[in-house]
Amino acid sequence: MRLRWHHLALWAALVLGMLLLPYLVGNGTLRTMIFANYLAIFAISWDVLSGRTGYVSFGHPFLIGIGAYTTAILTKRFDVPVEISIPLAVVATMVGGLIVLLPALRIKGSYFALVTLAFMELMYQLVQVIRPDLTGGTRGMSGLPTLTRGAVNGFYLSTALMLAIAISMWLLMRTRLGIALAAIGMNEESVRGSGLSVTRLKTFAFITSAFIAGLGGAFYIHYLGSIAPRALFDINFLFTIIVAALIGGAGTVVGPLIGAFFLTFLLEFLRPYLPGAERYFVYGGMALLIYMYQPKGIIALFEAGLGRLGRSR
Amino acid sequence: MLQILIQGFLLSGLYALIAMGFTLIFSVGRVLDLAYGAYLLIGGYTYFHFSQTLGFPAAAGLALAAVVGCAMGLAKFRLIVKPLGGGHVAVEISTLILAVVLQAGVVLVFGDSSKILLPIVPGVERLEGATVPYSNLLAAVASWIILLGLYCFVRFTHTGRAMQAVSMDARGAVISGIDSDRINAITWMISGALGALGGVFFASYTQLYPGMWVAPLIISVAVVIVGGIGSIIGTLVVAHIVGFMEITVSALIAPELRGVVTMLLIIGVLVLRPRGLFGREEI
Amino acid sequence: MSVSLAVTGLVKRFGGLLATDDLSFRIDPGESVGLIGPNGAGKTTVFSQIMGEHRQTSGTIGLDGEEISGLSTSARIRRGVCRTYQVPRPFPDLTVAENVRVGQMPDSIWEMITRSGDRQREVELALSVGFAKGDLDRKPSELSMGNLRKLEMARTLATEPRLMLLDEVFAGLTAAEISVIAELVQSLRADGMTFLIVSHDLKALEPLIDRAIAIDRGAKVAEGPYLDVIKNPRVRASYLGTS
Repeated sequence: MRLRWHHLALWAALVLGMLLLPYLVGNGTLRTMIFANYLAIFAISWDVLSGRTGYVSFGHPFLIGIGAYTTAILTKRFDVPVEISIPLAVVATMVGGLIVLLPALRIKGSYFALVTLAFMELMYQLVQVIRPDLTGGTRGMSGLPTLTRGAVNGFYLSTALMLAIAISMWLLMRTRLGIALAAIGMNEESVRGSGLSVTRLKTFAFITSAFIAGLGGAFYIHYLGSIAPRALFDINFLFTIIVAALIGGAGTVVGPLIGAFFLTFLLEFLRPYLPGAERYFVYGGMALLIYMYQPKGIIALFEAGLGRLGRSR
Repeated sequence: MLQILIQGFLLSGLYALIAMGFTLIFSVGRVLDLAYGAYLLIGGYTYFHFSQTLGFPAAAGLALAAVVGCAMGLAKFRLIVKPLGGGHVAVEISTLILAVVLQAGVVLVFGDSSKILLPIVPGVERLEGATVPYSNLLAAVASWIILLGLYCFVRFTHTGRAMQAVSMDARGAVISGIDSDRINAITWMISGALGALGGVFFASYTQLYPGMWVAPLIISVAVVIVGGIGSIIGTLVVAHIVGFMEITVSALIAPELRGVVTMLLIIGVLVLRPRGLFGREEI
Repeated sequence: MSVSLAVTGLVKRFGGLLATDDLSFRIDPGESVGLIGPNGAGKTTVFSQIMGEHRQTSGTIGLDGEEISGLSTSARIRRGVCRTYQVPRPFPDLTVAENVRVGQMPDSIWEMITRSGDRQREVELALSVGFAKGDLDRKPSELSMGNLRKLEMARTLATEPRLMLLDEVFAGLTAAEISVIAELVQSLRADGMTFLIVSHDLKALEPLIDRAIAIDRGAKVAEGPYLDVIKNPRVRASYLGTS
């Protein structure tokens, strides 16, 4: 692993900027930033699995939902303290990740995407009918314990979580493991032909992705204080996660982060003009254009721009 | 019992129509069109707008829905699928995005609330305790007529045979002088028309709302996964399995669980028999 | 450092097709053997069974006297067998150096994370197959067919094999590129590497091998010194398709 000083400087600048932000902007913007942070966590989680290994997951809300529902049920119905329920939720999500993994060991490509989509829809329907006394059925649950009070604290907590996940994933993906996972996305057979156990690598990617999804889902739900099946197991939610990773730049850590912030603020910017779900029209249209024009995302546009600047100098 | 049988047949006929457009694209173009459900959405709303709001006759509304579906199919092929050059993942992701965009477009034009579609043909028939709305009967009969027409088209016309050739061996078809671009464009147009018509009938079954595209997409996916590709007969058979399973479960166990069995079928088949019940090629 | 391979009674059926028909042969340590036969004779299928990509219907595959049929492909590679493919399969978005790095990785996630690889060795490997220093940062899409084959050799050599199975190493190469690959094989032979080589280019193959095995329709037709094998009437007949 080789670290370059300018990488460290950029991360330090980001951390510092985030720390100072509450002194510079109002609470409204901070609340938007909180959503961007959680979206970034989910997009990074998606990317660890799908952006790297090429196994496109359409079921990430399934994983996030396991984490969110586990901690919601434990705290609300069984009065388990948050310090215990969140770790349990993360473990439950990792088990859920393993369940999704099983078909992935046998099927590839489009079929994997479809089976994960089916898992998400299955979860959506099951949550409403099985033990509604626990899950709250179609309406979900509200009045869940929240971890923080006020926008500033919520912002610091979500930022710390997001940066911890982003930096550790960034470091992890700079090791040879990152190259091995990316190689699976390019040619699984050749990875096997290089003497590496592809199954073990895929398992690692799944579990890591599930770990992040569960952690993010659990903290997110304790920020919102409420949970509803339609908000979680929803194609629009899935769409936002995938689009954040893709238009930021899949296969990188910084890409999903940029994508999440870009999308959240775009959505916020559109709010005065299009107050309802119609915002997704402009938002999705832009995402589609960027994806068609530059499948490697905004980060590739940046790099190309920097390259051009470097050459002209 | 009779109720289940009649409703099962009516629903399955409609499912066959809906799934057919999706299967066609999968077998000829070898890609999954996740925006397929949007044809149903747009088709349903087109019919609603012309027949219910503007007062056109029902037949004209249906025809216009089919035309709009056709145009959407062509546009999707020319503007998205072809420029992406047939990469599976790219097509899946961009069609998923497109579906969400179109859903938002419908919200923009027609609003968020759901709309009740008046029966295409009013009235009900009572049959030994089973009530059958004429609309549902029409949907099933129309589905069968359209499917029969499609079957004849694929079997007996030059273009239809070319479609079969492309679905069996795209490269071989090109070598033998078939313009695969043209065939693909035609397939996308047919798929769009089938989806849009299916959407009108589907909406008359349930209701018209911006999120209505997800359920039929899942049903189509189930039919393709279980039934394999490229066979009209296989699609018919599996559409009946799915249709009857849903009707039976919602009549005998609980109506809320009707979607669950479809999902379990998809997951079960993919995990236990990755090649599908009737065999399937790798994509 | 060398290894012996013993294949006995190998049979592979694909449905009704008999792809490998009771095939037995042995390769001694340090030997180089050519596997020849007409198109569709089942040469590549033999390779994929030795590597565990296809499980044989019956028969045994022994490496240094130890049965390896139960092992996964990656476990076999760690035992020192590796193969190249008729169509090279590089990682398109990785550079030449990174492609080699994948071959060099240990099969342990912990070690991949905690220990960085031996960059010196990576460069050495790339240079040893004939890449120039300036090629290390290039992507596979910029490479010629000859360089792609070199890249595949370098990546498989990085797994530290003792027995290499080369599938059609000369296909699609210019005369100059053929001689580069041939020289590479010769120098590896001098270092004691064991080879099993499939090639249609018999002229290029001849100097690289100690003896040849001819197969047709999955069954062995002849075995022995190269000249004897290609003069064998049954081998000639199989190439002409008259058997």
